[in-house]
Amino acid sequence: MSNQNGSVFGLTFLCPILNDAAASPSHDLQIRDYLSTLDTRAGSPFAIAPGTHLARLAVMDDVIFVGSPAIEEHLQSKYLVFETNCDSDVDPYIRGLASAVPEHLDAVWQHCTGYPGAADATKLVAYMKACQIPTSFFFAAVNNKSVTQTLTALQTQQAVAHFIASHQGMEPAQLQREFLSFVQTLRALPCPAPCSIIPTGGPR
Amino acid sequence: MSKLNATDIQGFVLRGYNMPCARFCFLHFPDAKSARHLLGQLLPAVTTGQLWEGGKPQSTVNIAFTFKGLAALELPIATLISFPVEFQQGMKARANILGDTGKNAPEHWDELWREGHVHAWLAIHALTPAALDARHAELSALVTSTGVRLLDAQDAGSLVIDGQLTTKEHFGYTDGFGNPDYLGVCRSTQPGQGKLLPDGKTWAPLATGELLLGYADEAGELPVAPVPHILAANGTFMVYRKLHENVGTYRNFLNTWAARYGSSSDDAKEKLASKFIGRWRDGTPIESSPDAPDQAIVKDPNLNTDFTYGADASGSRCPIGAHVRRVHPRDAFGFNGKLVNRRRITRRGLPYGPYTPEPPDPNAPLTQSEIATLDSTDRGVVFMVLNACLSRQFEFVQQQWISYGNDAHLGNEKDLLLGTHKEGERFSIQGDATAANPPLFCTALPNFVELRGGDYFFLPSITALAMIARELVDPR
Repeated sequence: MSNQNGSVFGLTFLCPILNDAAASPSHDLQIRDYLSTLDTRAGSPFAIAPGTHLARLAVMDDVIFVGSPAIEEHLQSKYLVFETNCDSDVDPYIRGLASAVPEHLDAVWQHCTGYPGAADATKLVAYMKACQIPTSFFFAAVNNKSVTQTLTALQTQQAVAHFIASHQGMEPAQLQREFLSFVQTLRALPCPAPCSIIPTGGPR
Repeated sequence: MSKLNATDIQGFVLRGYNMPCARFCFLHFPDAKSARHLLGQLLPAVTTGQLWEGGKPQSTVNIAFTFKGLAALELPIATLISFPVEFQQGMKARANILGDTGKNAPEHWDELWREGHVHAWLAIHALTPAALDARHAELSALVTSTGVRLLDAQDAGSLVIDGQLTTKEHFGYTDGFGNPDYLGVCRSTQPGQGKLLPDGKTWAPLATGELLLGYADEAGELPVAPVPHILAANGTFMVYRKLHENVGTYRNFLNTWAARYGSSSDDAKEKLASKFIGRWRDGTPIESSPDAPDQAIVKDPNLNTDFTYGADASGSRCPIGAHVRRVHPRDAFGFNGKLVNRRRITRRGLPYGPYTPEPPDPNAPLTQSEIATLDSTDRGVVFMVLNACLSRQFEFVQQQWISYGNDAHLGNEKDLLLGTHKEGERFSIQGDATAANPPLFCTALPNFVELRGGDYFFLPSITALAMIARELVDPR
């Protein structure tokens, strides 16, 4: 089924960029400039807004002519490409972005033709649906778990590994007591924030 | 495929010589003319892959060049820039990719490798120390007479333990199993050595182009190689890494964790040692014989590399992070091993430095000063890799499978003995619910092996050596 794999959605939008010869720098350059300053970790708009596994924003200038015998063709405008793996379909997902990071949406999409602004979520959803193309095949990092479930699972994995490493070989009755108390503590922990799980000894 | 011309390929590429003595000399070319003169003189001495009908010679000679060496030889610029970028950069510049950080970072390497003046590797392998010295005397006289500088030499050789020549390294593991078979390179193939066929049981040789330049590789493509083709064909790339082994740290770690392991096995310590690597220290693969070493398997080439992990997905026999399973995952990633066929490397290596026997009571705790003394002794393994593509083969294995665990679903876990460890890391032994085979998480991982230097080399064919010597390399 297009746009969905398991419980994860793969959405693709192609938004035409304003073609204004008077703009300096041109709108595509202004988008590139803004994107290059975005945080890619905890401060990323996609970490702040809910429900994004992976997202990519890119400017597509044109189709590249690879030489004869290919035919030289050109796009009618430049496009902003927005691809995302997320936990919900267009309507709730875009509303989530509009509510959490409207300033980022406006900063990027103000350079696109027909962008209605993030303040009116209904118009924004209609605009994004008009720009959407079906995503028939996509890479999902995790197929059937939400972002929240994935973050909680990572937290659990790290905590259990740490528990085992620090309790292995313990006398069984004491081990059971400590395990039960550990499980209670773990269950009470809130879901960690995106990008907050730091791998131990990470290689990169 | 075309028939290989063994007389055009350096013998070191086609086979491990299995000679007990070796000396690796490192040369610096002061100018192209003297370097070419030396090469011309050396040519007749270079050992080829031709079969030794009259038995092994007393000694062998092989040569390879760093990128700086080829530049010093004044190869045409159009040829130089056609070499793969990782080779042009050299191993030092690739330290971050390779995980050669912390104590393994280039600033801690031996002076020879820090300075970066090495232009060529001139290798002598010999049957006896006398034959090694004789050949070395001959070659060093030749080198000196041409004005080329002999910067340094690294001796290596099989460890003698209890008066016997062995194939062990300093931690006590039997080494040297499991090099891949390649089409046309091997006279006979050994189960477990090439690639797994779709039946999941039969093994066939890998494409020649995984080892040699100028032949199709496993993707049906020619490996990236310099121009002209004739300079590259029948040659390969070599990685040279001097790996210091901290023997005191290893023995202390093994004793400490053996005491906590809790296995009811007769020899829990040896069982634990086997879990680190995936082979008992005598060489028996634990996937084939998880409960005890078995010399009948070790000695049988039809058995000692013939195993798969499909029936051991949980790692209860061979831990998922054990060294042999990391560097050659066989069928462990599914798809009958197809995902690993482009990541195979051929290893050549020999230990260096003196062996220190285990103390009379090998389980007695070591004092800090004993550990320090054992660690500071200059010894380890001269580890050499041959592959057609440094970035796709050696660097991938080192970066993804030694220094990372994601492909094996192990998160950030690294190879226990080869990884550059940081605080908070662990090594998981999955085990099962039986008393003899309990699970264990080893923590507070020290660095067992330290990189002391090395570089990337191009090991050309005999034809290419002659072209370089005669200034005939023409990229047009």
